[in-house]
Amino acid sequence: MAPPQKTTKKLNAASSRKGQVASLPLLVEIGTEEIPTTLLPQALQDLALLSEALFSDCRLNYKQIRTIGTSRRLALMVDGVQSKQLSLSQQITGPPKSAAFDASGSPTKAAQGFAKSQGVSVEELTLKETPKGLYLTAEKYQRGESAKKVLTSSLPVYLAKLIFSKAMRWNNSQTKFARPIRWIAVILGHQVLKIEFAGLISGGVTWGHRYFRIKGKKGAQNVSLSNAANYIATMKKLGVLVDPDERRAEITSQIGKLAKLGKGEIDPLYRQELIDEAVWGVEHPHAILGTFQKEFLTLPKPVLISSMKEHQGFLSLVGNDGGLLPKFIAITNTPWGNTKLITKGNERVLSARLKDAQYFFLEDQKQPLHERVQALEGIIFHHKLGTMRQKVERVQELAGWMALRLGQNNISDLCHRAGLLSKADLTTGMVGEFPSLQGVMGEEYARHDGEPQEVCLAIGEHYLPRFPDDSLPTSSPGLLVACADRCDSIASFFSVGMVPTGSEDPLGLRRAAYGLVRIVSETALRLNLVEMFEQMIQILTKQGVGQGHPQTVSEIMGFIMDRLRFYGRTTMGLRDDVMEAVIRVRPHGTADVGDLLSRMRAVQSMVGLDDFETLMVGFKRAHRIVEKERWNQTGVNPERFQHESESRLFQVFEKAQQEVSHGVATGDYAGVLKSLLTFKSAIDEFFATVLVNDPESAIRENRLSLLTAIDRLFLNIADFSCIQSASTDVG
Amino acid sequence: MTFQEIILSLQQFWKSHDCIISQPYDTEKGAGTFNPATFLRAIGPEPWRSAYIEPCRRPTDGRYGDNPNRLQHYFQYQVVLKPAPADPQDLYLQSLSHLGLDPYQHDIQFLQDDWESPTLGAWGLGWEVRLDGMEITQFTYFQEVGSLEMNPVTVELTYGLERIAMYLQEVDSVYDLLWTENVRYGELYHESEVQWSIYNFEVADINLLQSSFDRYEQECQQLLEHPRGLVLPAYDCCMKCSHFFNVLDARGAISVAQRTGYIGRVRNLARKCAQAYFEQREGMGFPLLHKKNQSPRAKVRKKR
Repeated sequence: MAPPQKTTKKLNAASSRKGQVASLPLLVEIGTEEIPTTLLPQALQDLALLSEALFSDCRLNYKQIRTIGTSRRLALMVDGVQSKQLSLSQQITGPPKSAAFDASGSPTKAAQGFAKSQGVSVEELTLKETPKGLYLTAEKYQRGESAKKVLTSSLPVYLAKLIFSKAMRWNNSQTKFARPIRWIAVILGHQVLKIEFAGLISGGVTWGHRYFRIKGKKGAQNVSLSNAANYIATMKKLGVLVDPDERRAEITSQIGKLAKLGKGEIDPLYRQELIDEAVWGVEHPHAILGTFQKEFLTLPKPVLISSMKEHQGFLSLVGNDGGLLPKFIAITNTPWGNTKLITKGNERVLSARLKDAQYFFLEDQKQPLHERVQALEGIIFHHKLGTMRQKVERVQELAGWMALRLGQNNISDLCHRAGLLSKADLTTGMVGEFPSLQGVMGEEYARHDGEPQEVCLAIGEHYLPRFPDDSLPTSSPGLLVACADRCDSIASFFSVGMVPTGSEDPLGLRRAAYGLVRIVSETALRLNLVEMFEQMIQILTKQGVGQGHPQTVSEIMGFIMDRLRFYGRTTMGLRDDVMEAVIRVRPHGTADVGDLLSRMRAVQSMVGLDDFETLMVGFKRAHRIVEKERWNQTGVNPERFQHESESRLFQVFEKAQQEVSHGVATGDYAGVLKSLLTFKSAIDEFFATVLVNDPESAIRENRLSLLTAIDRLFLNIADFSCIQSASTDVG
Repeated sequence: MTFQEIILSLQQFWKSHDCIISQPYDTEKGAGTFNPATFLRAIGPEPWRSAYIEPCRRPTDGRYGDNPNRLQHYFQYQVVLKPAPADPQDLYLQSLSHLGLDPYQHDIQFLQDDWESPTLGAWGLGWEVRLDGMEITQFTYFQEVGSLEMNPVTVELTYGLERIAMYLQEVDSVYDLLWTENVRYGELYHESEVQWSIYNFEVADINLLQSSFDRYEQECQQLLEHPRGLVLPAYDCCMKCSHFFNVLDARGAISVAQRTGYIGRVRNLARKCAQAYFEQREGMGFPLLHKKNQSPRAKVRKKR
């Protein structure tokens, strides 16, 4: 075992004799093949952080670090790099004298080991007086090296730390990077540094924009950078806007002008997303305005948007009335090309896509949705769970039942209908082509078929929320079908034992449960989830699908409670112990998520208050006694009280009991907590003045019953014994 | 430029860049990657540069000849370069120039494409290349093939010939493409699209396909264990299975859950073939390893 070592360090700026130390700009450009746009912002951030680490680890001072780039180059620009590294003197304390030398005064193994570990000979070690006595000490001095030398050896090490979520190899170096690196330029001041990385040796040469011809230059379009300053300006001369902010400004201004020219405005829906994509996708943006045939405007807007945005990355234009114009803006990567030709090409691609979409749209409408339900028999939901046809039958039945159960008899039929038609659009050509339009097309086609307004909306909305912070359905039938659909997925997979394990969610059940939690907690739906899942299991059993067993519902509830915990933690900042305390006392046979959350919030608002902490000390003492004695009687006989503190506690109990039952009935949990707080001094006084374990059993039993009654009263809202105390360990 | 001139132009271009002009493989396949000239040759350390046209079958893409952009049988132009050279993008852009698509006139973008073939146990990173917004080529650095890590890495270029031709000839329907000055693509292939769509979607005998899948799977396994090392015939069986699966899929005979199962079975065969091929070549001392000038002429001489 190495002896404990203490190190004192002293950094010294290199002496400035001969005027050696200068302040220089550094440029590192990593030239690549096109790096995916989604990886670039992170890569530039990481590059900046790694550079900071490099400069600090290498004792090199600098003024400022900046990283910029495009899909074809990551550039690190550092201002004011000191041309010399700081020197370092270190004193490292080793073993004490007594352990360092043997009786004969020769160095021991410990001394030798220490010398070896410090890379010095034993003779070079000195003894140093410390408050604890004499200790062996190694003095080390590292002279500051030139920045050139330090950077040449360190840059490859730090560049190798740049990692990507998806990386590849391409040459013998076996380096992993987002895409192949093709050149590296490193310049410190005016000096080219030769570093070795990814099988390449750096130089001072860069390449300009792929499609920019340098005047008078033939062959390879590479250029020597003469110095590290003016990089941005130099690249501009080579056709590259290397600063992303400049590209963004350029794009914004160009598309603004084109929108005006097209007598419209950029559709705000995906504007930002598409601009971001373009900023990182091109080295020199050039926006073009294209058109498509007016006849395609009869297609639903989501279809047009999908064709333009998802497939082509086009921005769409809207007119004064907010409707789409038959125009689009594409952001190309070349201002030097033949704009007319490029525009025509983009128009043709979009036109072909829209023609496809139009074909599907017209074909799909030839068969009404309700006739398509039959065809869902051909789509397997899951091989253990039958077809989509069977699924919609279950969803339909449950959604209708839920409406009745909630007393919303008037919408039961609508829910039933919407449930039946909810997945029918899966059989349409359009959804086959654009899977992201599921639901959207169902709603569209249902309107065309003349289905009731609420049914159409519910079909479209029942997929909401699609992702954690997506919006929720707006209509009651939409909400109920959304719940029924999720309930069906969860219950059916659980009933065949396909329960999510680990962190994976291949069947989307966690997402489904989370959506369910959000719907029932953020809307006025007061659904009893236990009842709902019991009903679902019955429906499954009736259909002969799965083997629902009595345990299934409680397993499902455990799974839902897990999602509830996640939801409470991430969106409301609820503590795990608080949530656990409330979930533990959840009345058997019901699960009203909204109610559980109100309880949790009420409990959490008290936790940490001094009064509450004090109360908890008394409560937990009472709880432990009751638990230890396994006492289960609550009949208290006031005549057996021996001490005033007993009667006082009983009085507080009787009053609180009324308030608690009223509070629980009305959902006024803040009130409940407030009345529980009234126990604080009474409990303390009780324990201070009486001994529960009275020798006379009648007195003892009466006290136990009082404590048990109080314990049960607290359990009405939460199992407070799970709550971690702020100051003391609960034990 | 006619369709056949496009093919000839690419053949000429890649021949001049030291590629062996391979031939289409005579078994049905969904993509040029399945051709042993790509799938098997990508495996192991032996250098390999090859280019070829490949007719591909994707039964589910059939549209009875009604859709101007979609075919169940179409042509890819495939280029594989191992080890990946230092300038594959430049080479590629030069090949477009050779076709008359001047990169300085057009907007050519390389958009992220993480390629994966679950049936081949293969994946790679690269791009789809867009010419004025139209996808014309897939460009991939293979990372794994048959679940074997690539070393050295092969780069694969797959040109969508019909797309490129439609652009060059400025036609909106694939059937209007000029194959020669006088004969259109539609005249050669429209009837085939109609008949094969009917067959794939409506008529193909499901039982025959299923049992063929099973039997070729079995055959593949047996060949792999054959004492005389019949790796190449085994790989043919693997390709057959992949094709039968594709037809079954088009025929609507495969449920969502079964899908993964079938794909896994083909992948299993592909993996075993890849492994066996590697071992076999290793046993032969990787014969192409030290062939410095791997040119078409050298290849022809050897065959004689």
